[in-house]
Amino acid sequence: MRWLIHLSLLLSPGMAAAHASEQGFVLLLPTDLYIAGGVAAVALTVLLVAAVPDRAARRLFRPVPLWPAARRRRGGWPSLLSALWLWWLIWRGLSGSQDPTVNPLPLVIWTAVWLCLVIAQALVGDLWRALNPWTGLWARLGRPRPLQYPRALGHWPALLGLFAIAGFLLADPAPARPERLALAAGGYWALNMAGTLAFGPRWLLSAEALTVLMRAYSGLALPGRWRGRRAIGLSGWRHLARADPPMALALFMVAMLAAGSFDGLNETFWWLARLGVNPLEFPGRSAVVLPTLAGLALAWAGLAALFAASLHAGAILAEDARPTPGLLRAFAPTLLPIAFAYHFAHYLPAMLVEGQYLLLMLNDPAGTGANLLGLAGMQVTTGIFNSRDTVRVIWLTQAGAVVLGHVVAILMAHVRALAHFATPRQALLSQVPLALFMVLYTLFGLWLLAAPRGA
Amino acid sequence: MSKSDHPQSSSRRAALKTLGAAGAAATLPLWARYTHAQTAAPIRIGFQKHATGIGAAYGRWYDRTSQAAVAKINGEGGINGRMIELVTEDDGTDPKRGAEVIEKFANQSKCDIAFGTLFSHVVIGSAPRAGELKLPYFVVSEGHHVASGMLNRWTLQPGITDVKSQVQAMAPFITDTLGKKVTMIYPDYGFGYDHRDNLVPAVQAAGGEIVAQIAIPPTETSFTKYFPQIPRETEVIYHVMVGPAVLTFVKEMGEFFGPSRPEIFGFIDSLEAVDLASPGLDFLEGTYFWEGMPRYLQADAPAYVTAYRDAVGIDANGASTSDPKDVSTAAHMFGCWETLHIIKAGMEAAGYSSTADRQALVEAVEAMTEMPAGAAHPQGDKLFNGRTHQVFGPQYISKVESGKLNVTHVAPIEDTLYPDEVDYTTQSF
Repeated sequence: MRWLIHLSLLLSPGMAAAHASEQGFVLLLPTDLYIAGGVAAVALTVLLVAAVPDRAARRLFRPVPLWPAARRRRGGWPSLLSALWLWWLIWRGLSGSQDPTVNPLPLVIWTAVWLCLVIAQALVGDLWRALNPWTGLWARLGRPRPLQYPRALGHWPALLGLFAIAGFLLADPAPARPERLALAAGGYWALNMAGTLAFGPRWLLSAEALTVLMRAYSGLALPGRWRGRRAIGLSGWRHLARADPPMALALFMVAMLAAGSFDGLNETFWWLARLGVNPLEFPGRSAVVLPTLAGLALAWAGLAALFAASLHAGAILAEDARPTPGLLRAFAPTLLPIAFAYHFAHYLPAMLVEGQYLLLMLNDPAGTGANLLGLAGMQVTTGIFNSRDTVRVIWLTQAGAVVLGHVVAILMAHVRALAHFATPRQALLSQVPLALFMVLYTLFGLWLLAAPRGA
Repeated sequence: MSKSDHPQSSSRRAALKTLGAAGAAATLPLWARYTHAQTAAPIRIGFQKHATGIGAAYGRWYDRTSQAAVAKINGEGGINGRMIELVTEDDGTDPKRGAEVIEKFANQSKCDIAFGTLFSHVVIGSAPRAGELKLPYFVVSEGHHVASGMLNRWTLQPGITDVKSQVQAMAPFITDTLGKKVTMIYPDYGFGYDHRDNLVPAVQAAGGEIVAQIAIPPTETSFTKYFPQIPRETEVIYHVMVGPAVLTFVKEMGEFFGPSRPEIFGFIDSLEAVDLASPGLDFLEGTYFWEGMPRYLQADAPAYVTAYRDAVGIDANGASTSDPKDVSTAAHMFGCWETLHIIKAGMEAAGYSSTADRQALVEAVEAMTEMPAGAAHPQGDKLFNGRTHQVFGPQYISKVESGKLNVTHVAPIEDTLYPDEVDYTTQSF
């Protein structure tokens, strides 16, 4: 029997997860009211933005310059240490405990990097530039660059790579199984090391999905470089200061939001019902590999189409003849705050649990009985999901992030529109369909947080 | 919390002990080193764990209980003087992965036997592979699939009772104490059908009557429209709802009935690992639950029960000693503790020394019958049926009083027995 159980697992990257009662308490919360409040807040932002004078709107995203910024070179020691650490982790993945809550490889890759480092990128900036496991070795080897990266390839390999990573994360039956992850991570590292040795870091910036993703998120960070100085500004200012991304990169950004949205949707009763799966007896990830991959592709195509249609409709309203692909490139970065909010909201409960396993692992990284952080004997707990008060705090934090993400996205889109359209009136009209899209996406995001889940 | 409670540290300690033994062996003459190494090598028990997937909350507590049992057994000298080493693999609560894990235990990680796991579909997916590989597979699943004859001679369930015996043992108490006219509310799929198919005849045999069967679609998250289907004459409601909406179910049932309600009887599976003192569950006050083993420490608990609870690290409310909000899966996880002790007893009875003795181990366990309550069997006395590979034991019925479950009735083993449906001992190995 053991068809039972409540759990609603927020599968974090295929890792352990939340708990029976969390979902139960979420269903008891007045989420309808919360959702209405969140959607109203985003709708109100749309109206406010329309009323704000253009100069004030533009000023929102103007950074405050600080001290002169030093020139940075790629390929320092941290990157080399990252590579050494990754090799050690891969070795541990192959030889250590195969329990993903104990083995350091899945804890570092999925919890420390995929959950936490991505969030740090979006808050403080491009840590990945120093921490990536490729440029350090490349620099030690004399910074070779024997080949010219083919211009025609652009960011398309990275888009492919993002699908591979998201597919592995969402659809693979065992992405956290240490041995399997060791092979995947080792293969991924080797492939991209070869690319870096052939084409230099340009390979990473264009063809390597993780670096492209990390850089896209770091564009949301408050601090950054501006006119030769360190500067600080409202989240999104760095993307608005950059030129429009090329088409492949724009589609990559759409894919980031699509993957984040589908990772969540695929656990809901609603999605499982589409697959004909009883949400109370989920048959395991093995049974839904193809539907999950298909869903991921559909989510991306659907989101891209919807987004493009909103932009196209906006151009018609504004009586502007600009072709849609150009608009897609201009406005794709405005989806990033939403993608980031989804990432944060979706993984928050998982971080609260996996973070404990990660700390225990760091306390004794090699499994030798060390007690580096003084945590020996600590038991992992999921008690925070067992009381209505803590569940409410967690849910409102998630919902707050989703609402804030949409608010920033609307502000960014408005400022982008002011720069792209000839008159403020055109800019405003162009934003009507996109604003509607974002209000509805807020509704979707909050519904997703409140929806019962079964996988 | 002592260090030995920590899963990582206890397995590590076992490993260190083994290393120590290996170091000592290096000082012996060659021939002695050979024989010593043979006996001192740990017994490797492949632990199929729901580390990820929908069973992860159970997996965490199964792991904690198993690590505690291994620490205890090793502290007392191990099995035939050999330490136990748990070799953990995540099955993802996924039947296909379950079978792969079994294969890995047998072929790659050189495990002596396999042990685990809870979810029925994983057990049903894994057992055929264990049979093909002739790997003894000790499950803690509670399903009737072992005793029904669906599995094979290599699969045994000696540490936890099955749903059929649990459900049928409830009927006499329900009809004698709570009322004769019973309405069942259950989810409309396999798990609910197990309860329906076993309870209906048992209630009838006990002189009662099922006045309504209300099957609720698994995707339902609001239940108010079902409550009017409960006949007025109902004296007892038997509910086995599961899933994220179970708290909503309880709340809405409370709102429907108000202060005048029939007697209510449920299975703790609905609320395993959920704090009964949670707001919204007040309506359960005065209702009854089946429990595999009491979650709350009972006033008359024997010393071996407190020793078991201390070893696993749960407090008087059945929550983790490190976080009173972290409620354990107390009604099921004892099965891991008892199963590991049975493995020890079986291996010692069979004189188990290597994988060549796997068949002897299965035969030794098949020969077991009575297992008296005690440190190895804290849940209570057990009676093992070697023909059906299924254990039988007492079942607890508890009443919610001041937000806690107090045992009011213990169904004796005799109430849980049913005629054999298979004789695995007639099957060849």
